[in-house]
Amino acid sequence: MSQAFALSRRKRQRTFARSLLYHAVVAAIGFGMIYPLLWLFASSFKSTSEIWTDIYSLLPRHFTLTNYINGWAGFGGISFSVFYRNSFLYAGLGTIFVVLTSAVVAYGFGRIRFVGRGFWFACMLMTLMLPQQVTIIPQYIVFSKLDMLNTFYPLLLPRLCGQAFFIFMIMQFIRGIPKELDEAAEIDGCGKAGIFFRIILPLIQPALITAAIFSFYWSWEDFLAPLIYLNSPILYTISLALRTYADPTGSSDWGAIFAMSGLSLVPVFIVFVAFQKYLVEGIATTGLKG
Amino acid sequence: MNRNRWPIVLSVVLVLSLALSACAPAATPTPQPKPTTAAAQPTSAPAQPTTAPAPTQAQQPVELRIVWWGSQDRHDRTIKAINLYMQQHPNVKITYEFVSWADYWTKLATQAAGNNLPDIMQQDYAYIVEYTNRNLILPLDDYVKDGTINLNDTTPAEVNGGRVNGKLVAINLGSNSQCWVIDVDAFNKAGVPIPANDWTWADMERTAMQLHEKLGIYGMGAGLWDEQIWGSLYLSNGEWRYNADGTGIGYASDQPYVDHLKMLLRLQKAGAIVPRAEDVANYFGKSVEAQAIVSRKAAMGYIMSNQIVAVQKAAGEDRNLKLLPLPRLTGGKSANYIKPSQFWSIATTSKHPKEAAQFIDWFTNSIEANQILGAERGVPISSKVRDALKPTLSKAQAEMFDYVAQVSKTAQPIPPADPPGHSDIVGNVLYSEVADPVAYGQITPEQGAAIMRQEVNTILAKNKK
Amino acid sequence: MAGRAESTAVAAGRRGAQILARRTRRRNDRRHNLAGYMFIAPWLIGFFVFTVAPMAASLYLAFTDYDILSTVPRWVGLANFQQMFLRDPRYWKSVQATFYYVMIAVPMRLAFALLVAMLLNTYRRGVSVYRAIYYAPSVVGGSVAVAVMWRQIFGTEGMLNALTRLVGMAPITWLGDPRTAIWTLIALAVWQFGSPMLIFLTGLRQIPSELYEAASIDGAGGADKFFKITLPMLSPVILFNLVMQVISGFMVFTQAFIVTGGAPLDTTLFYALYLYRRGFANFQMGYASAMAWVLLLVVAFFTALVFKSSSYWVFYEAKEEV
Repeated sequence: MSQAFALSRRKRQRTFARSLLYHAVVAAIGFGMIYPLLWLFASSFKSTSEIWTDIYSLLPRHFTLTNYINGWAGFGGISFSVFYRNSFLYAGLGTIFVVLTSAVVAYGFGRIRFVGRGFWFACMLMTLMLPQQVTIIPQYIVFSKLDMLNTFYPLLLPRLCGQAFFIFMIMQFIRGIPKELDEAAEIDGCGKAGIFFRIILPLIQPALITAAIFSFYWSWEDFLAPLIYLNSPILYTISLALRTYADPTGSSDWGAIFAMSGLSLVPVFIVFVAFQKYLVEGIATTGLKG
Repeated sequence: MNRNRWPIVLSVVLVLSLALSACAPAATPTPQPKPTTAAAQPTSAPAQPTTAPAPTQAQQPVELRIVWWGSQDRHDRTIKAINLYMQQHPNVKITYEFVSWADYWTKLATQAAGNNLPDIMQQDYAYIVEYTNRNLILPLDDYVKDGTINLNDTTPAEVNGGRVNGKLVAINLGSNSQCWVIDVDAFNKAGVPIPANDWTWADMERTAMQLHEKLGIYGMGAGLWDEQIWGSLYLSNGEWRYNADGTGIGYASDQPYVDHLKMLLRLQKAGAIVPRAEDVANYFGKSVEAQAIVSRKAAMGYIMSNQIVAVQKAAGEDRNLKLLPLPRLTGGKSANYIKPSQFWSIATTSKHPKEAAQFIDWFTNSIEANQILGAERGVPISSKVRDALKPTLSKAQAEMFDYVAQVSKTAQPIPPADPPGHSDIVGNVLYSEVADPVAYGQITPEQGAAIMRQEVNTILAKNKK
Repeated sequence: MAGRAESTAVAAGRRGAQILARRTRRRNDRRHNLAGYMFIAPWLIGFFVFTVAPMAASLYLAFTDYDILSTVPRWVGLANFQQMFLRDPRYWKSVQATFYYVMIAVPMRLAFALLVAMLLNTYRRGVSVYRAIYYAPSVVGGSVAVAVMWRQIFGTEGMLNALTRLVGMAPITWLGDPRTAIWTLIALAVWQFGSPMLIFLTGLRQIPSELYEAASIDGAGGADKFFKITLPMLSPVILFNLVMQVISGFMVFTQAFIVTGGAPLDTTLFYALYLYRRGFANFQMGYASAMAWVLLLVVAFFTALVFKSSSYWVFYEAKEEV
């Protein structure tokens, strides 16, 4: 019995050592990864002059909240809360729209054989390859004729039509699901739609969540489309507002810019942390065994 | 999540989003001015102190759109001024848009493409020719003639910057001139005398070297490779970088430019000037406060006169900063000219050009307005406004006013506005093919100047009619 | 007797079943067409309304001289392409910079992403914290703050030079030296490997653990498990990440736009940045459109290459072709 105990102790020690090594390595690299962000947050608590003079220290010598206060006041009488609201509108709604429609389209491309599938798939990929900079003016003219300028429509409507990146990504996940599940459902009398809602959709949760995280933060930091389509400053998203803050021809309040940039990262982070729980659970295709 | 719950969740989400999107448009109509100044307040000031022909305006509501670039400070001031105008003119509603300089021309060009230019737009000397040639901005001479825009308190030098092909298309918002900003304390510490106003490039080189030797810092800051300096070299000779009709290079000899490049290389090698590599590394995308003189890394800097306010603020009120005119060529005249820092122009597609002109007139001449604006865009062109502002100026602002007043005495007439192709030259030739290769030692100054001449002539040849 | 009748009946039944099956299959195929188009309808509609017209417009513009401000573009045929290929040294510099970036940043990014995803694919305590930390840089994206931060770190007085000073080296102007500037952007790209990492992680999570258990029982070691289970099961996701990273690598814009502006000496003048400048800063949208379509063709070519190769190394559980 003591031998078994000794053996298990060695094993425990080994596992502990392994665990320690793991944490040491991962944490060290993690610190290096996150250092620039720590610097950003630290700087937001320093006064503007201290930021440039006392560059390396992560701990501000004079801890101050003025950057946050000034930054939150926004400019032109529009406080940052307005920009937050706009960003949430754009990112939140946009994400819901795009993830759901992308899943639907992905199922079509990934699971259903139909005439012309390869052609349309190639078209879809092609839309990814033309830089936004040259299509934005013709698109602007389209929306201008539809009289949708200075609204969120040009930003949100295209989201109702899926987005090539997510469609492709979800397709690849759908392909990873064994067809036997589909066939089983078909035998049970399910149509394609039924298979989609009952079988596929639950199984691609991690992909949907990943897509949601991406879509959220891409919308959050997009500035070209808001710049072009949103005229009134009261509609500006955070990304645009921050750019307007940092004007090279005049003086910029860098402390406030850092503070607001830091704050603007918080929602995205929360979205990520909240959703990654679902990633952890993952799914096992244990449906096969049953 | 239980797979049976998905359809329910989906439908809830769909309904929610439909509901929310129905609400969204309600948030997007053109915004009312901020509640601090209700535009519907019955005005108690129909007697405008400055604008003359206002009383005859019809009382029907007019909507104007205005757009400008700038920093936070400018946004706040301009919005306050606009609100004041709306208070005084309750039938005029002005909706405003503003972005940073980096994004301004992208936005404006897109709006032009969509036939959607705002009534009043901020313009720049580098772009007014392009916009005028495409018939996008309105000639304003008629409004000046009939008094809608009162320019009686200005001088032609200040106004003519806004003329293209003889027509006035843009109203100067603030006069500016290029200058050197020097740290007087650093000079005193090094025992170097403050240069005279008619100093030459040779003087500049010597001064920078001395400052570097005595103090160990850079004598001179960044920015001497740019196109304004290139132009000013020849202005001193009475020439300009481009010829009068914008079809080719404007100077006879490359030698001044070659000498200039050689001087910069000497200074760079001696460590007396911020090296080009560091210039690129440290100053891109930053504002004026990144100037080396602010952090005492250099004793001199090159800025536009209206930037002294920001520089002083960043450096600290206790700093002793002074403005000097540009160095000139040996034996040459002044290299300075009075440049409008920016303009207001009116779009040809504007439905209310007269009301727009009235606003511009008010902006230019109203003392109240300018007290709010604080001469942040440059020295106001109306002498009455300047006099009214004088008592309230800060140290830096006073320095700016004095400087511009003094430089105007000897300044050269403003060179013609930059022709189409100028942005091409600056963007694709000046730095990429000439200045940077020289600065990094890849080509000689002579080669650089030759490339400049060749490329400028090629690009501007398209302007030949 | 009964046997023969029985077998005939069975035979007849089998034939009947075959005919029924064929008819049903045809009906099923037709139904599949309708179902297929119904499912992709949202994308198809968006494609026609929002995408086709602008794309066609930009193709047309590639053959014109369009300065955005005039309303009517001027047809110039192949002049834009001629200038691009024959008379524009900056064009080739931008091609070079972009290829350099794609060749280096894309593999590095994917390698890190996969490595870290595997590291984080565990149930150890605190792994969700690590996940968040490793993903955090990507969240910062292309904001103004990133630019300032990055220039701070790589600036002459920045953190990196503090480290070099510690080891006694002279400070390097990372951002100002033509040899090193592009590496600051590559570093930025690799630092933000969170997106492909997250996708790899999701893919890893989908690999049934029973496979690993079965392999362990069969005596497979770590390397075996990696090459025989992980990689094949992950291959559709690898394909996705590879394709997307290649495409976005060629179109890299924001980082150069906000951090270096293309300097110094155009070593970081990426293709999309140069295109943007030509279009909006130089009022040469026709030229920019020409550049854009050349880019599209090049990217399409490389993407097709990757897809073609995929039949050799991608394993789909569902056993279907692309």
